[in-house]
Amino acid sequence: MAEGSGPWLLAVALLAACASGIAAAASSPEKAGTSQKFINCIPCSRRYVADAYLDTLTGQLAQQHDLTETSDSADLCKGLDYDLDAPVLSKLHRQLVGEGSHRHLVYHVKFANCPDAMVNFLDSYSANLVVIENLPNGVFADPFELQHFVERKVFLDVVVFGDTNLELPSALSNRSSVETHVDLRPSESMNCNLVIDLPLHARYPPLDASGYATVEFGSPDLLIRYRKKEILSDSCFWVLKDLNAAPVEKVAWRIPCGDEAHRGFVSSITFLSALVCSIFIVIAALFY
Amino acid sequence: MASAALTLPRVMLASAALRLSLMVFGEWQDAHLEVRYTDVDYLVFSDAAASVAAGGSPFARATYRYSPLLAYLLLPNSLLHPAWGKLLFSAADLLVGLFINTILKLRGVPDRTRIWSVIAWLFNPFTFTIGTRGNCEPIVCAVILWILICLMNGRVLQAAFWYGLIVHFRIYPIIYAIPFVIILGNSYAGPAGSPILTQWTSKQHLESDKSNPSVEEPTSLLASLWNFVQSLVTRNAILFGLLSGSMFFLWTGVFFHLYGWDFLNEALLYHLSRTDPRHNFSIYFYHIYLHHQQGFSSIQKVASFLPQLIVQLALILRFCRDLPFCMFLQTVAFVAFNKVMTAQYFVWFFCLLPLILPWTGINLKWKGLACILVWMGSQLHWLMWAYMLEFKGRNVFIQLWVAGLMFLAANIFVMLMVINQHKFTPLFSSSVKSGSKIAVKKE
Repeated sequence: MAEGSGPWLLAVALLAACASGIAAAASSPEKAGTSQKFINCIPCSRRYVADAYLDTLTGQLAQQHDLTETSDSADLCKGLDYDLDAPVLSKLHRQLVGEGSHRHLVYHVKFANCPDAMVNFLDSYSANLVVIENLPNGVFADPFELQHFVERKVFLDVVVFGDTNLELPSALSNRSSVETHVDLRPSESMNCNLVIDLPLHARYPPLDASGYATVEFGSPDLLIRYRKKEILSDSCFWVLKDLNAAPVEKVAWRIPCGDEAHRGFVSSITFLSALVCSIFIVIAALFY
Repeated sequence: MASAALTLPRVMLASAALRLSLMVFGEWQDAHLEVRYTDVDYLVFSDAAASVAAGGSPFARATYRYSPLLAYLLLPNSLLHPAWGKLLFSAADLLVGLFINTILKLRGVPDRTRIWSVIAWLFNPFTFTIGTRGNCEPIVCAVILWILICLMNGRVLQAAFWYGLIVHFRIYPIIYAIPFVIILGNSYAGPAGSPILTQWTSKQHLESDKSNPSVEEPTSLLASLWNFVQSLVTRNAILFGLLSGSMFFLWTGVFFHLYGWDFLNEALLYHLSRTDPRHNFSIYFYHIYLHHQQGFSSIQKVASFLPQLIVQLALILRFCRDLPFCMFLQTVAFVAFNKVMTAQYFVWFFCLLPLILPWTGINLKWKGLACILVWMGSQLHWLMWAYMLEFKGRNVFIQLWVAGLMFLAANIFVMLMVINQHKFTPLFSSSVKSGSKIAVKKE
């Protein structure tokens, strides 16, 4: 039965992906018309982009939010030359790879007019790709594991906001969000076709009679963060540009879960076996 | 032919070489393969040590649930080399081998049997992988055996010092508190003031030895109970209790002062109240998962604690005077009935196993092989279902829970075999006074 439901889920996921694609197409002219709203600036001292949303993550997380739009530092951009040929996204593909409780969310990011425009751009700017994935309840990223990726220079930087407890089941934990920074360097031809691999882990889901809990991922936020290579010490700002990546294919993760109907017999047989085994030991000790 | 080549220095050298090569292999695997050789906990210890080196608290590292002493021991991990800790743990692992030899020598076990017992520890695949993967348990094992050596040599105060420290460090050795206090009772010190150790006798045939007057029969449950109450009030027992208790509270107090509730919650209270809904060898894991959303009634809490308590008390009262045997059985039972059980806990009793081998009637050929096969087989069976659940995402909770019950049954089977085939030999020979008391009671 479990295997049989695979094609159904796939069909549902495809339908959902189509629906969200249509929705995106409908909303894109509006976005294009007000493109300036999606460019913002943050001081270089601010290491992460998503930390302003920490409070919303730990409480009720809004499914969609525009990170650049809600920034409080719109004025900082004034006078900065941000209206240039910053890299434009041509393709984003995201998939969940692997089986079981430990999987990888793999992003394939392709830039337009690459490598020419990208090389030109990176000649005068330092730039990072920022990926913010709002993890659904039931899935977590291990900040310590990710830190080792930073040490091995796979990521430039990575941070997990929200509930970072690695052990609690879904029912006793909150959602979290991962912000990953990937350095874009002119020397690397890979910049045109980036692959980002984010290891994720499943929590034990709440009990359900169906035997499996399905956890669905929302769309990630992809931004590009850049600044001029020569920085005046008193005014360092990152220019943030939303790559308008959303939405991508929906990703769903089926996680096995316990069944409430098992409660009675599992508990009683567990206690009974423990008691019987302990009596065996007591008898063995008595009649030694 | 083989026995001539088997000397303690050679065995130690070979096992040191084995550990070193495993450490080098581990470094290579970590750098080249996706699956790491190094234990995840080792990364936790190292991160905690790095936090201490940076002037912070070890508890700044989430899931660090040990005494800050461990982070201090691993400070060279960040200052010298990341493999320092593995070297330290493997050294402790080798030290356990030496201590096994010392204990068996004190008990008069002949060379050949002693060497094979040491090999049973040093070349046990569970133990050499655990140390080289960076697990701290070999340190605990070494201290436990050192305490035993101190008690055998009459150094009660030193034993108390290490006992208080190690209970602070890892809590589970608290299960040895009652047997330690009992053996420090009336019959502990001989006429000269230091304890007299019962020496190993040659033949292992149980039937013939049971009539041997030099081997003492275990006393009845009631008599043991009376002995226990009496033995609580000797000078040695009181000193041991006071000093080890003070050591425990001193370390706990110092670290509470330094790191506050983080320390108390993570390093102490967490272990006392630990209930893990995620799959582990314990029979209770699925029960805990099924109830984690609604909490546990007090009846359920008592029901899961009662078998543990009954077994511990029965084993202590019956076997405590054969201290290493009692400690071995207590540890196997404690791990088997615990609410959380992982493979690293097995080292706790593997370090005590060589101490009882010279007194067992189990031969490796049949009974021993049967025990190993049943124990390993049920464990592999469990691991197969755990793999299906964790790495294949299949819903096999019921199968995994049944496999856990079967593993408990395997543990009980091995324990019953070990008890049945063991030649009960009190660690200390009773002094004339207490010996005659028992003789009178029996009549």
